[in-house]
Amino acid sequence: MSKNVDKTIPVLEMQGVDKHFGGVHAIDNFSVQIKHGQIHGLIGPNGAGKTTIFNNITGIYVPEMGKILFNGQDITGTPPHRVAQLGIGRTFQNIRLFANLPVLENVIIAANKDATYGFMDALLKTPKYKEREKALEEKAMGLLKVVGLADKTKELAGSLPYGHQRKLEIARAMALDPDLLLLDEPAAGMNTEESLDLVNFVREIRDTFDITILMIEHHMDVVSSLCDYCTVLNFGKTIAVGTPAEVKADPEVIKAYLGGTV
Amino acid sequence: MFFQQLITGISVGGIYALLATGYSLIYSLLDFSNWSHGEFAMVGAYIAIVFSTMLPFPFLVAAMIGVAGGALVSWLTEKVVYRRIRSTGGPNMFLMIGAMGLSSVFQQAANLIFTGQYRSYPFKLPVSTIKIAGAYIGVLDLISLIITAIILIFLMYIINKTQFGLNVRGIACNQWGAKILGVKVDSCISKVFILAGCLAGVAGILYGAKYNVWPTMGNIGLKAFISSVLGGLGSVPGAILGAVLLGIIETLVSAYVSSSLRDFFSFALLIVILLVKPSGLLGVDVQDKA
Repeated sequence: MSKNVDKTIPVLEMQGVDKHFGGVHAIDNFSVQIKHGQIHGLIGPNGAGKTTIFNNITGIYVPEMGKILFNGQDITGTPPHRVAQLGIGRTFQNIRLFANLPVLENVIIAANKDATYGFMDALLKTPKYKEREKALEEKAMGLLKVVGLADKTKELAGSLPYGHQRKLEIARAMALDPDLLLLDEPAAGMNTEESLDLVNFVREIRDTFDITILMIEHHMDVVSSLCDYCTVLNFGKTIAVGTPAEVKADPEVIKAYLGGTV
Repeated sequence: MFFQQLITGISVGGIYALLATGYSLIYSLLDFSNWSHGEFAMVGAYIAIVFSTMLPFPFLVAAMIGVAGGALVSWLTEKVVYRRIRSTGGPNMFLMIGAMGLSSVFQQAANLIFTGQYRSYPFKLPVSTIKIAGAYIGVLDLISLIITAIILIFLMYIINKTQFGLNVRGIACNQWGAKILGVKVDSCISKVFILAGCLAGVAGILYGAKYNVWPTMGNIGLKAFISSVLGGLGSVPGAILGAVLLGIIETLVSAYVSSSLRDFFSFALLIVILLVKPSGLLGVDVQDKA
């Protein structure tokens, strides 16, 4: 998937990013570096600022301080649709599909990001437009096959079972041809067996599409088996960075999660 | 007689549908009632009056300029007013109040410029009729019906079969989801306002050709609101269905009951729907109606 990008520079680099909401310091001097092909975990108790970091990367919020680099390019404050076009796909903790649209159309919307035809082409269904439309549909079908939803293209997204909705959301994000995929609690609401299934699925996505993944996750077993590195946050502050095994043994992390004294 | 009334009703309903679909599209994207939507019809109608009666343009050219004018005004209200209100993150109620303000501004402006006088287009169509199956059908009704049908089919095609339409339906489902997938939401919203303005312009000119042009004719927007609620707010096919039904009901009431009770029936219908089936005939459940 990945284009002519120098794989030695980090796919995502955040330098001293800061964000307040009123008096709350939501993210405090957050920095991270994620290399090509890595799966990086972002963990921490509720309200630690994990989703706020995603919102800063994808342009929903603009950081007050600091810089966000994507493939070496400064994307700080870039609007959401542009961030998507540059190649950052994302899913949401509370799934945000187009519930009233069929599964296939959900993916086609995202695949359509670099439309090269004009409005008149679309109205008149010129050969160029038809060709493009066919290509979009094939691409979307390909992605739906990968996530195992190829037989559900006509169903409304909102009518799918929860696990399928999560997979559709990932397929939709992948339609952007992203270099970086942000997953916000992909295992939320899943039991052990389902989350094991998810671990394999995410790894498969990474290998098939040769992408980099930053994921927010609470299930420590998912994090341990999937992530190369992780960053632990508490009240907006980074309290530990390392491999899953390292951070699990970190006294600060244990304190943050269990609330006890060490 | 009944057949004649039915054709008239569908034709009037078609004009309502041109307004109701645009109104419904905007509602589905931005979740607010655009109370100034009817004024775009009025602006289009007056521009066509200016170009066909005060300036030496053929009526068809004047009508096209009128439609373009409706689109321009619709686009400007989004650009100058609604987008700014949206960017402050205020509640949708602000948009609706802004729209009410705009509606008054347009009506008063029309009153100042053109006075309250009724004006008409320079042709004889309104009185001519043709005989079909033993009934006398107004030529204007027939023409209006055909134009409306072509435009609405075209609109359904854009919404359901093009990528632009898909983006619009996506934004209607989930604006943030669309943004995060690279859809240029603001640009899509602008295009929808232009489209809705065009439809309103056509509606204004057809309505003006039938009933003349006057400063508060934009109140026809209320009929678009009733149509949309009847069909299901936010649903384009629902808006068309509701509009045609309303047109037929109004025409039959005028013909068989009393024309002065026409609006009484229309608004009573609105109240009944809101009480009995607020989601309308084809709509999904919507809590916030206004």
